[in-house]
Amino acid sequence: MPSSFDQRAGLVGSSGQVTLTVAAQDTAIAAGSGDIPVLATPRLVALMEAAACEALRGHLAPEQTSVGANITLDHLRPSLVGAVVTARAEIVKVDGDRVHFAVVADQPGPNGAVTIGTGTHLRVIVSREKFLQRAR
Amino acid sequence: MSQTVRAEMVASVHSIIAEVGDELEAGDTLVILESMKMEIPVIAEQPGTVAEIAVQQGDVVQEGDVIAILL
Repeated sequence: MPSSFDQRAGLVGSSGQVTLTVAAQDTAIAAGSGDIPVLATPRLVALMEAAACEALRGHLAPEQTSVGANITLDHLRPSLVGAVVTARAEIVKVDGDRVHFAVVADQPGPNGAVTIGTGTHLRVIVSREKFLQRAR
Repeated sequence: MSQTVRAEMVASVHSIIAEVGDELEAGDTLVILESMKMEIPVIAEQPGTVAEIAVQQGDVVQEGDVIAILL
């Protein structure tokens, strides 16, 4: 197993991003989190988690993975079906197995990108096998 | 007496309504923030002249950040 500490020591500043074109299955209606056809807040949470996973890609040993432990999100602006939403996550602190992210999402607006959400996220690096054993 | 207007929540700056030098009455709108998926006007609580608008359209402000200063 690689020295995970050494790997993680240089993680601060690493970032990842994912883009989603909002479709019907991404709306509050589909998620059951509301009744209007705009990007669901839980879908935005998932997008930010995906961006954080991207930031960790290539930095973990094969037997390791990360699990979401905490997220705070201010969902500022609605996104209609068809909107292209990009979530970005940047590692701001590594505390042992805990990796802290700043997360932000934006979409194009008439005068450039507009922030639609901002928050923080915590992921914990775990052994995939041990984690599943403990969960059973 | 100066009046410092601060953000009451995390928000993005939707639009700037007032300009430096504008003389505002209490209740006049300075900027419009967008938070919780709603447009939220930020108003002058007392009459005054706009000395500074401390944000730009598209900025993300945190709770307590200065939005504007009126004299």
